[in-house]
Amino acid sequence: MNIFYVLKEGISGFKRARLSMVISIFTITISLILLGLFTIVFRNTNQIVESFRDRVEMEAFLEEPITDETSPIVERKIHAIPGIKAAKFISKEEAAKIFKEQFGEDIRNILEFNPLPASFKIYLEKDYKNTDSARVVYAKLKLVPGVDDVIYRKTLLQLLDRRAQLFAMASLGSGIALLITAIFLVSNTIRLAIYSKRKIIATMKLVGATRMFIRLPFLVEGIVQGVLGGLFSSGFIYLVVVYASKVFGGDLAAIVFVEPTFYLIILGAGTFLGLLGSVISVRKFITESVALTN
Amino acid sequence: MVKLSNVCVSFNRQLVLDHINLEIKAGEFVSLVGTTGSGKSTLLRLLYMDLIPDSGSVSVGKFLSGTISSKQIPMLRRKLGVVYQDFKLLEDRSVYDNVAFSLYVTNARIADIKKKVLNVLANVGLSHKRNSMPHQLSGGEQQRVAIARALVNEPILLLADEPTGNLDPTTSLDILKLLKDINTQGTAVLMATHNYDLVRKAQGRIVQIKDRKVFDVKLKR
Repeated sequence: MNIFYVLKEGISGFKRARLSMVISIFTITISLILLGLFTIVFRNTNQIVESFRDRVEMEAFLEEPITDETSPIVERKIHAIPGIKAAKFISKEEAAKIFKEQFGEDIRNILEFNPLPASFKIYLEKDYKNTDSARVVYAKLKLVPGVDDVIYRKTLLQLLDRRAQLFAMASLGSGIALLITAIFLVSNTIRLAIYSKRKIIATMKLVGATRMFIRLPFLVEGIVQGVLGGLFSSGFIYLVVVYASKVFGGDLAAIVFVEPTFYLIILGAGTFLGLLGSVISVRKFITESVALTN
Repeated sequence: MVKLSNVCVSFNRQLVLDHINLEIKAGEFVSLVGTTGSGKSTLLRLLYMDLIPDSGSVSVGKFLSGTISSKQIPMLRRKLGVVYQDFKLLEDRSVYDNVAFSLYVTNARIADIKKKVLNVLANVGLSHKRNSMPHQLSGGEQQRVAIARALVNEPILLLADEPTGNLDPTTSLDILKLLKDINTQGTAVLMATHNYDLVRKAQGRIVQIKDRKVFDVKLKR
């Protein structure tokens, strides 16, 4: 196969049909911008939601009076419960200190005694930070001798579980719909561009070109379109990210955070879209009758 | 060289060719006549295997319609030259490139391509128009380019489907003369036409398609 000829034909396709090339590149660019921005927002929002889950912890308040001997025994029993990563003892004095930090006043000055019980702050394993597992840990903690009461943010966990599921389903659905739309849009645009070249395809077949020989220049064209579309969309997304980071700042800036490798993925996706669009489109015309092509 | 045996073709359950038999020998000049829609183009399509018969067999050289694979069809077409009424030239490239195109697809060497293209353009009398674009040429000249493109691969058979259909009588005669010259040099020619005047002047074998059948006819003196 004459590779030089294939490349020349593929590249000269740009000169011969400038408008359809521009439209194809534009379509790929727009599709990738939509897909890229959607992925960024989905992924980062998901991470932010999950970070709320990371903050979920339990507090086990101890029965009074607590002695220096009883607290290590309670601690051992707490550690023996599956799903507990760490437990930190908070004495009555430390509890009063935390109260002062939070409310600005010493509780002993208000009530003349310290009513705050000693407690264990309990950190759960990652896999146990959901409604069902937390409920099991909670029940086991309640049964530990010396533990008076256990609290945790049950409603927040329930809310996160429900919303996370809904969010994941909605995002997956929208992502798939967006991807299918992009593939359809790109292959349709490329098909229109190739439609105008039916005559050249028919002539190639007429003079004895093999299917691979006919296909290759179009695939080269598709790849070049995809790479250009990938570069343009990466550039646009980069500008959006830089601008949004400046405007939002703080926590919200995390929604638009992007690693440099993401731009390479966009470039790869563009190449893939361009190639796939060409493969789908050229297949239709390659099987058309030579004589019936006008 | 070419043999059709008991060939049947139908489109949408309508029979177009009914158990036809035809043989063309190397170096023959055959005029295929028949009214519009009689099946002349269908018969030509059978020969370059753009169409496979419903039943019966078509053989062109070593290629058989019953056993040919989609990969072999390009190899068959490199042995044939096909010319159409509407020329089917590539409007976006020059005369030279239109003709060279046939050689590029066969992976010929660049040096050979140049030599062969210039040679065939000289044969059809278009050397001086090698850099022209198709739209700058007359109908007769465009058909000469199409013939040059068909000839550049040195085919064993040239198929011409209504080659003068879009041309005036004088130009038509020029094209016929060119086809006859090509035939004299050894290439078999099958020319489908409904121009009986042209057939008379061609003075070769005449095959007629009528009522879905094919048969040889002799012109009355």
